[in-house]
Amino acid sequence: MEDKVIEVNFGPQHPSTHGVLRIKVKLDGEIIMDAYPVIGYLHRNAEKLSEMGAYPKALIYIDRLDYVASLNNELGYVLSAEKLMDAQVPERAQWIRMMLVELNRIASHLVWLGTHGLDMGMLTPYFYCWRERERILRIFDEITGSRLLYNYFAIGGVYSDITPKAIDMIKEFLSDFGSKLEEIQAIFAKNYIYVKRTRDVGKLSLEDALSYGVTGPLLRASGKKWDLRKNQPYLYYDQVNFDIPVRQEGDVYARFQVRIEEMRQSIKIAQQVISKIPEGEFYNKKFSKPMLVRLKGTGDSYVPTESPKGEYGVYLVGDGSTIPYRVRIRSPSFANLSALPIMLKGYKIADLTATVSSLDPVFGEVDR
Amino acid sequence: MIPVESESTSKEGTKIVYVSKENLFAYMKERKDEGYDILLMVTGIDYKDHLEVVYHLLSTSTGNRLIVKTKTDGEVDSVVPLWAGANWHERETWDLVGIKFKGHPNLKRILLAEGWVGHPLRKDYPLDKKQYVNLKENGEDYVSYDPREGY
Repeated sequence: MEDKVIEVNFGPQHPSTHGVLRIKVKLDGEIIMDAYPVIGYLHRNAEKLSEMGAYPKALIYIDRLDYVASLNNELGYVLSAEKLMDAQVPERAQWIRMMLVELNRIASHLVWLGTHGLDMGMLTPYFYCWRERERILRIFDEITGSRLLYNYFAIGGVYSDITPKAIDMIKEFLSDFGSKLEEIQAIFAKNYIYVKRTRDVGKLSLEDALSYGVTGPLLRASGKKWDLRKNQPYLYYDQVNFDIPVRQEGDVYARFQVRIEEMRQSIKIAQQVISKIPEGEFYNKKFSKPMLVRLKGTGDSYVPTESPKGEYGVYLVGDGSTIPYRVRIRSPSFANLSALPIMLKGYKIADLTATVSSLDPVFGEVDR
Repeated sequence: MIPVESESTSKEGTKIVYVSKENLFAYMKERKDEGYDILLMVTGIDYKDHLEVVYHLLSTSTGNRLIVKTKTDGEVDSVVPLWAGANWHERETWDLVGIKFKGHPNLKRILLAEGWVGHPLRKDYPLDKKQYVNLKENGEDYVSYDPREGY
């Protein structure tokens, strides 16, 4: 029996590894006996680089972690840094942050949805998703001046105010994105082959999910109602009205449903935020741009935030100088990916791409 | 109850607990039974005269968070038997900070190539020394200081 087991390398250069993931798969026929993910191909040691410059300088590395949801990454860092320096942030800046983070969550889920379709052999939804994401990127371009890596959130506020034109663009996007999402969802959910290939595939039980530190949509698809925006609110999430989608099945299809529903909730949040943005300053005058590199921090702080992939946060240790002593990035994809072997064991090799893409791993964040 | 050495709070208000490294595993087991079901991350910090291991715990039933710190000279007990997710985090801490975890099932480098010299997040790591990575015939990585031997 033993000699029938063969070892196959999946990746690192394979179109459905979402970057550079290599999985050593042990196969008995077409059944996966064991899987061993190998990571590190995109490692740049962002933590060490962040420990070499002043506090705001780390932001450009933080941007490049989860490069499809840069603003969510920046948020975790600036919230931690502000706690470290006891900085006050104007209300307007917090509301602007909240709105952009929700838009970026939609953009990140759209990237996932499009590439997930590709992995399942569907080319059509990819173009639909990219069309909608393009509209979000244009909004970001109008507000921040960049399309992908923004460097927009600063310690003590945001770098520039939002313009009336940007508000109009956001309103226009939010008004009809819901119906477009309906269309995209129908392409997947009404496709017999897609549903057959994802139901009861890549199952993750709740005990395993908790033990492996899995968070975000994966944990919610495994039946735990846990969302930091609701359970431990940061920014002003306690002042807006939204639901947490939960599924009990823990398979690939459940994760698809959870992410689609999350996009709907993000629309709901953004619509409420846009009517609530108050007038006022968009940054704290004490933290004007020339002052930023002179900021000093002591003690340690870790502010958890709900990024599109799960719990994201930056653990900062300051020694009283202008340079952070230790920066540790808690990236959700890293923990989520470590649970991959138990999701693959016992399934067929054809289910591998479905399971891997349902994790939504982004390798800038896994390898840091 | 396992005794703790000292207590404090972090800037955002999370409780920090210092535990001696002999008591670490027993203390963590007690916390796990208490309901801290998620180990968020394991971190190593190099304070030049000693190393510190930091564990972030979260309980999804009560929403409590706890930070556990241990001073060490380079080796602590592994907590993989309690949380399976500690596996990769401890490998990363060994890889980048150079803290060994006793009883870990597979303590190999995870982000850097096998055979890498030094641990980059140590404060005395030489940044000017370049290392080149290449593949052996059998698919394993190896590292050399010669630029002609790798990329």
